[in-house]
Amino acid sequence: MKRETMEYNYDWNLWTILECASKTNEGFCKEYHNLLKYVPHYGPVLEAFMRFGQPGDIFLKLMAGYMKMCVTSKENGKFTALTSFCMAPPILYAFDIVPMCLEVWTVLGTIVLRRGTTEFLDYCCEVGFTETSCSAQRGALGAYLAGLCTQPDFIVFDSPGICDTNANSFAFASAFLDKPMFQLNSPPTLSDERATKYHRRDFRNLITFLEKQTGKKLDFARLKEIVGEIKRQDEIACELFDLASLVPSPLPGMYDLMLYGGKFMMGGTREYTLLLESMLQTAKGIADKNLSGTLSGREKARALFCYIDHYTTNARFWYWIDEHDISMLGSMLFTFWQKDVVYAKEKQDQTYDIDDSSDEAIIDSLADQVSRMPMVKQIRGPYDAPGMMLDDTLGAARVLNVDFIVYVGTMGCRNTWGVIKCIARDLEKAGYPTLVLYADGFDDRVQSWESITDKLNEFISLRRIGA
Amino acid sequence: MIVAGCDVGSLTSKALILNNKNVLGYCVIRSKTRPEESAREVFELALKKAAVHEEQVMCCVGTGYGRNKIPFIQEAVSEITCHGKGALWVMPRVRTVIDIGGQDCKAIRIDKEGTIQKFTTNDKCAAGTGRFLEVMAKLLGVAIDELGGLKGGQNQEPLTLSSACTVWAQAEVIHHLNIGKSKGDIAEAINRAMAGRVAILVGNVGLEKDVCMTGGVAKNTGVVRHLEKMLGVKIKRLKFDPQIMGALGAAIIAKQMYTGENP
Amino acid sequence: MIENFKQVARSIFNEYVEAWKKSGKFVVGYPCTYVPEEIIHAAGLLPFRLRGIGISSLSVGDTYFGPVICSFPKCVLELAGNKKYSFLDGTVMSNGCDSMRRLDECWRKADKDIPGIRPGYFHYFGVPHKVTDYSLQWFEEEIQLFIKSIEEHFSISVTDQDLNNSIKLYNQGRRLLKQLDQIKIGEDCRITGEDALALVVANTAMPKETYIPILSGFLDNIETTCKIIPGRKRLMIVGSINDDLDFFKVIEDCGAVIVADSMCFGSRTHHDLVEETTDPVKALAKRYLNHAYCPRMFGYYKERLNFIKQKVVEARVDGVILQNIRFCDLHGSENGIFVRDLEAAGIACLKMEREYGPLVESGRVKMRIDAFLEKI
Repeated sequence: MKRETMEYNYDWNLWTILECASKTNEGFCKEYHNLLKYVPHYGPVLEAFMRFGQPGDIFLKLMAGYMKMCVTSKENGKFTALTSFCMAPPILYAFDIVPMCLEVWTVLGTIVLRRGTTEFLDYCCEVGFTETSCSAQRGALGAYLAGLCTQPDFIVFDSPGICDTNANSFAFASAFLDKPMFQLNSPPTLSDERATKYHRRDFRNLITFLEKQTGKKLDFARLKEIVGEIKRQDEIACELFDLASLVPSPLPGMYDLMLYGGKFMMGGTREYTLLLESMLQTAKGIADKNLSGTLSGREKARALFCYIDHYTTNARFWYWIDEHDISMLGSMLFTFWQKDVVYAKEKQDQTYDIDDSSDEAIIDSLADQVSRMPMVKQIRGPYDAPGMMLDDTLGAARVLNVDFIVYVGTMGCRNTWGVIKCIARDLEKAGYPTLVLYADGFDDRVQSWESITDKLNEFISLRRIGA
Repeated sequence: MIVAGCDVGSLTSKALILNNKNVLGYCVIRSKTRPEESAREVFELALKKAAVHEEQVMCCVGTGYGRNKIPFIQEAVSEITCHGKGALWVMPRVRTVIDIGGQDCKAIRIDKEGTIQKFTTNDKCAAGTGRFLEVMAKLLGVAIDELGGLKGGQNQEPLTLSSACTVWAQAEVIHHLNIGKSKGDIAEAINRAMAGRVAILVGNVGLEKDVCMTGGVAKNTGVVRHLEKMLGVKIKRLKFDPQIMGALGAAIIAKQMYTGENP
Repeated sequence: MIENFKQVARSIFNEYVEAWKKSGKFVVGYPCTYVPEEIIHAAGLLPFRLRGIGISSLSVGDTYFGPVICSFPKCVLELAGNKKYSFLDGTVMSNGCDSMRRLDECWRKADKDIPGIRPGYFHYFGVPHKVTDYSLQWFEEEIQLFIKSIEEHFSISVTDQDLNNSIKLYNQGRRLLKQLDQIKIGEDCRITGEDALALVVANTAMPKETYIPILSGFLDNIETTCKIIPGRKRLMIVGSINDDLDFFKVIEDCGAVIVADSMCFGSRTHHDLVEETTDPVKALAKRYLNHAYCPRMFGYYKERLNFIKQKVVEARVDGVILQNIRFCDLHGSENGIFVRDLEAAGIACLKMEREYGPLVESGRVKMRIDAFLEKI
């Protein structure tokens, strides 16, 4: 690692950048545009959020707030947990624990910093973590391992049984940093009685772990408030999905990232509800004009990313989407399986419903929610089993009327790379042109963004998408 | 007392003749299909350069991929040990040796006696090896020796190049050429990608000063420059052909073996 | 005798399996040490551990698996695609790790293109990743479902008595292999790691009733039949799956002898015995879920580290080789921390990445082993 990289804490560095970014909209429009000239490296990424108006502004503020909470957690006397994107944070918030989500920190570093997180990716390898591990964790994990981030008090993750490489990152961090860990472990099935029972017992065990670590009992009054927010958030998310199924879709491409990113950081908090309300209001306005959410208002094609998005520097992925008038209808990360969500019609057994009628019911609901998080739901069993990756992708593709499907993952994703050729074949058979990108969503060095756009453009033109 | 070292590598074979502290002569040739042939030919050429007869050589140690096939040696020693010994002989304060050969790349940490403390090598892929640079130079249409000297435009945003895979990196070089990027910019990206791979290995063994580079790629000033930047240290230039360090180390071990010194 | 075991280890369809099949009995494959073989045995079937040796291309494996996947399941699929596993009447799939878990779908898909390559009985066995009362309960239920599915498919019944008999027999085999481990770690080493591996591999590819008497006879006479192996560096090997005798041979030919291991074709298969009690299913669940030496069980790093440290002392090990197959991040990453912690304890380590069995590049392995042995 370069010496200058070690001068500043990674989380502090990103927070200060985002903190400044979140204030840029406080002046006049002209001031904002003048300012862009002075931040040539951050201009494009700032603009990627700001060009969609209020939701982008709120999202920047939410990110800055989240980061500040992480960076200042120790001075505010809070416990910190290193955690994964697929681990829903409400239960941690109920204990007043700050969830430091590795993938969120990786994504932000990848998009915002000039060279992404390459030095931290490589630092992991230097201390013995395999370079074939998942870059989604590795990007930020390197900073944690190097002591360049607020240190976690303990580690909580829910990927065992879902994704080995994800789980392995947290197990590695626990062994390397010598911190206690708790894993929620998923069985290979989802909605049968055995699996439900297992999840709920496991979740109660997590609560016991958190009580032990924090020395506090679970505060049910606080939990009830959080659950109230979740209910509202779930309603809005369902409405947003209803809008996404319209042709043209009024959802701007960035909504995908904002919806799931917000949830991973601040799910269950008031800030996230405000973000969703603003997103819904804006999208409704676009829908009223019968426009697409793309920058031009036109929709040439409708895209579904069947796994994750690509987080190349400067948010160039989302610019590409807009330049081609493509409606980005989401990735797997976008799906949370709330009851009544449009893609879950006739699949209600696979959804969760927040029941706040009793303390026990709340815990059961949260256990169900975690077990339906993106990836946790779909990757646990055979890809072609009901409710798993193929079923969910096809279901979403039909409901959202998509024109093509793209797979982007990371080089660490054994689970999806294990079957993606089979999945792509099945999707093609079902009539959906499918592109598998041999790239890494968090590491441009595996395949550069320029080369990826070549592949995307070639695919769109050869398959006559939107023609 | 005259001794010799013979290093039969995957791309090149090297032999060196040593008389106490003087290098009498050495030679580098392109490796042939059979290691025995490469060894014999390069050894004879080195003897000729050194103006020494084979009978005068008291002891010869072999190293490199083909070391066990060399018929005329008394002992075969791994190239990792030899590179450590060779570099220390040329530069007594060196503690970290980075060796980039045709097919692999190693980072070696040694103590003041030249004993290996820790080492690591790259794994199967050609990225991070001399072969990577060779393939890339060919694509750019420049000689491999020129690649290091090519520099990118000062105010340009640096290009990204895949460093994980030689095959993918090739596709990207072609892409960059097609969209009109300059050879200098692309060469910079190639050298930086290469340096990035090597920096991980160095981090792996734990960097200790002084640092030097051996193997053919040490001649590529671009890779060295980027590596220095990444590691935050000056990489000392060896006052000797870096490609010959393995053979030199082998000759030093031959001398130690013959005189019974502690190897 | 060892030659005989080596032959079994170097082939897939061996003479014992052939004889078994000729007698009209069935063979069921299983992928890893988390699947209780006793159940297959108690049903009167021959458990056969899936392996991928002897392939020369990956044309089938690469058709279904993506590019960044461990070569082991690819090699298994390659063999299946080339009908080398046509002697299997069934196989179990399991989530030992993600690469292996996806063998389930890839094998099924390949069977659609090359009909008949999938055995008739194809059962998925889900193993939890931690040990708690409820995960043990899940595992017990999984064992019961496994028994039920075998009973239904093969129209047989498996009683507790059958299970208890199998447990006894398998424990007997484990005790003998533990005895072999004791011989390996002795000061006067009489068996190479390569030969010992042949015995361990054969244990998974032969009927226990035949294997146990042969192994027992060999161990009884080892002092007369096997000479002491003098003057070699003593190594322990840790990490990803290896059933390839040549890999050990390359290492030992550099002037070493492998005296201890923590591998799944190795001590992990026989280190722990199954309790011989009245409830065989509970006993099996307890043993199989608790033998936590594979990093697939998250959160047991210290236990695994201590196991290695203890072995290093017991076996007077000069150095530890920590190897992993490329894309096996579970072993690869844990090996990284092992290096840190073992070296801090003064134990010499070599960490390396390789491909599986037939794909190993022996030249590169040799270079690293040579340098390591010169160092220690």
